[in-house]
Amino acid sequence: MIAEEPRVDATRVTELAQALENELARLIVGQKALLRDTVIALTAGGHVLLEGVPGLGKTVLVRSLGQALSMSFARIQFTPDLMPADIVGTNIIGDSDGRREFHYQAGPIFANLVLADEINRATPKTQSALLEAMQERTVTVGTQTRPLPSPFFVLATQNPIELEGTYPLPEAQLDRFFFKILVPFPAEGDLLEIARRTTGESTPQLKSVADAGAILAAQRTAREVPIAEHVLRYAARLVSATHPDRSELDTVRRYVRWGASPRGMQTLVLAGKVRALLEGRYNVAFDDLAAVAQPALRHRIFLQFEAEADGITADRIISEILEHTAKEPANH
Amino acid sequence: MSSLEAILRELRKAARRALGARYAAHALVAAVAWVAAVLIVARLVPFERRAEVAALGIPVALAIAAAAWLIRRPNAALLMAIADIRLGLKERLSTAWERRAESGPLDDAQRRDALQHAAGASLPAAFPVRVNRGEASVVAILAIFALALALLPNPMDQVLVQRQADRASQARAAKAVAAAQKKIADSGKPSPKDAQVEKILQDAQAKIREADSPRKALESITPAEQQLQRLTDPGTPALQSSAQNLANALSGTSAGRSAAQAISSNPASGAQSVRDLASQLQSLSPKDREELARALAKASQQAQNSQMRDSLSKASSSLQNGDPASAAQALNDVASQLDSLQEQENTDQAVASAINGLEAARQGLATQADRDASGQANAGASPSPGASSNGNGNGNGSGNGNGTGTGTGNGGTGGTGSNGSGTGSGSGAASTERVYVPGQPVPGQSENDPTPLGPGQDVPLSPYTQVIEAYQQAALDATEQSLIPGSERDLVRQYFSQLGEPRAAK
Repeated sequence: MIAEEPRVDATRVTELAQALENELARLIVGQKALLRDTVIALTAGGHVLLEGVPGLGKTVLVRSLGQALSMSFARIQFTPDLMPADIVGTNIIGDSDGRREFHYQAGPIFANLVLADEINRATPKTQSALLEAMQERTVTVGTQTRPLPSPFFVLATQNPIELEGTYPLPEAQLDRFFFKILVPFPAEGDLLEIARRTTGESTPQLKSVADAGAILAAQRTAREVPIAEHVLRYAARLVSATHPDRSELDTVRRYVRWGASPRGMQTLVLAGKVRALLEGRYNVAFDDLAAVAQPALRHRIFLQFEAEADGITADRIISEILEHTAKEPANH
Repeated sequence: MSSLEAILRELRKAARRALGARYAAHALVAAVAWVAAVLIVARLVPFERRAEVAALGIPVALAIAAAAWLIRRPNAALLMAIADIRLGLKERLSTAWERRAESGPLDDAQRRDALQHAAGASLPAAFPVRVNRGEASVVAILAIFALALALLPNPMDQVLVQRQADRASQARAAKAVAAAQKKIADSGKPSPKDAQVEKILQDAQAKIREADSPRKALESITPAEQQLQRLTDPGTPALQSSAQNLANALSGTSAGRSAAQAISSNPASGAQSVRDLASQLQSLSPKDREELARALAKASQQAQNSQMRDSLSKASSSLQNGDPASAAQALNDVASQLDSLQEQENTDQAVASAINGLEAARQGLATQADRDASGQANAGASPSPGASSNGNGNGNGSGNGNGTGTGTGNGGTGGTGSNGSGTGSGSGAASTERVYVPGQPVPGQSENDPTPLGPGQDVPLSPYTQVIEAYQQAALDATEQSLIPGSERDLVRQYFSQLGEPRAAK
């Protein structure tokens, strides 16, 4: 009856993701949620903003990802004096067959994997250069627009402390990140394991488990995952509920200044599709949306000052929304 | 596709089963609530057919629930979505059902995955037949409440019993009137006023049946009796006396002896004999004529009816003057008057029968009205504990069933009357208040209830309630034993009833 084979092999995506997670786990101890969310964002083709205090392995994670994937990798350390040209490249004068002419010198952004370390330390002008490239996946220098390599995956990190001399990312630019992942402090057992693995003679070397082609195929496959209408409506309800003028929750009405954008909805659904594949499923479930709601929406919900005074976080608001948003399609 | 439809069929079956149980529970709640509501209402107002009405709610609630169950059919997408959630199928079934006609790159794989997972799940478990705890608790509480209401004494029962007794007494009274009507119809002595008598009785019967209470029914009897009385002729006794005097006078004559016997027997026969005598006047001997003329003259002198007197006088003088033809004419006039007397007697007899029937009806209604009045008086007095504690049991044991509980709780012990078991809502404070009037203590007054003296005087005082009861009984006994029209008896009864009402209210 159902004789036709699927045109895309979804199981390969699952296997790829699992292999990638396993490989990263060899170096990154614990942090399963961090790894899972990073792989989801990568498979969905989105960029990630990692936030955590120094020393939690953010940079190691990105570097490890570069090792586990046979793709070009570049690291940009953001500092206050970093200029846009330091990222996107610039035209320089050089000799060519005895003639002096301008050559375009590509910046470090021309890589598949880009680590934008401590992104909030650069000036807004420099941040904008990166963020524009992230959005358009092209770089314009002078009059020429150059496409960035595909896949193009930016992992930016920022430190929630030591905020003096930093330039917090504006809301509009935060929205361009697919996920904002909080890097938690490891558990005690994980700390022991980290010490064991990293203070010996050698550190584990990761092997490559996928290349750019496999990642692009996975990204295409992920978009084919079907989602039922009532699940899609649930996603819409979740996003609507983040808006103070549409939410029935007192917390949202009181503490939220602005809710998630339509891009938040796109992120939620796309991330849900990837998670479904990673779970070995071919359809999006409510649980998928709930699982990705925090990283997908936390940087898209802008709180009132009162929320900060009362210690209310975006994560708490999302948890309340998840708790109070009905999943059943109708009363039975 | 067919497998998805098989899954849907199975889910639909399970859903209908679960929904059936749920609606049955709803129906049970509604039915028990209905029964409880009916029982509550039956405690607030007299409700005769409460058992039937309460029972009626059960099939009605079940029928409504069954209809709702039949009408409501959850759609397939909803069933699939619910099954997904309840069986933890992660929206596999609902997605597969929604996209059953799609042919996207992953749709086939998704359908296979959904079917595979559904095969491993117990689909009926998505719609379990379970009892809602809240509903079960409501049913239990309502059932206990309804049972308590059904088992505990209902103050309205007394009212209902009284109502039934009232209706029965009214029915009996109406039957007595109907019996009188039948008796008149079967009497074989028709009178020109039979139709009127019959109509009066019929109207009275209808009014008795339709009256709200025996007391109201009683009110319709007196006017009926008065209407009947108006049908009788007040001159009948004078005519009867004249006829009797004529019979006596004729009995001493040889010619008129047979006529005298006939008149004594009944006026109609008498009229025929007088006509026969008139036709025989020509053939009588002069001596007989002389004798007859003297008898007629004597009867004329004694007659109280003027017409009869004139006719007899004319007949007597005509005979004495030797004019038998005029005498025969005068005797024929006498015969006509005897016929008229017969008719009047028939009318009187019909009226008497009718009044007897009405009186029989009055008797039954009055007894019931007295019972009702005493019940109401008790209703005001009995519930007060203070009122019943010092009863002196004097009663009014006349055996007519009018034993009455009073404001002081001294329910009558005589007869078959209520022993102060009336129900009602008299206040304790008012019931314990005693009013004394000058007078001798009523026999049977308890020693524990010493008679006080009036302030500043030596006159002994008795409780008002005892005195008025004794007085009422004496008055009613007197009316029963005297030849007093029923309407007058009603006045006496009504007077005491009115006195009893304020007491009951008190």
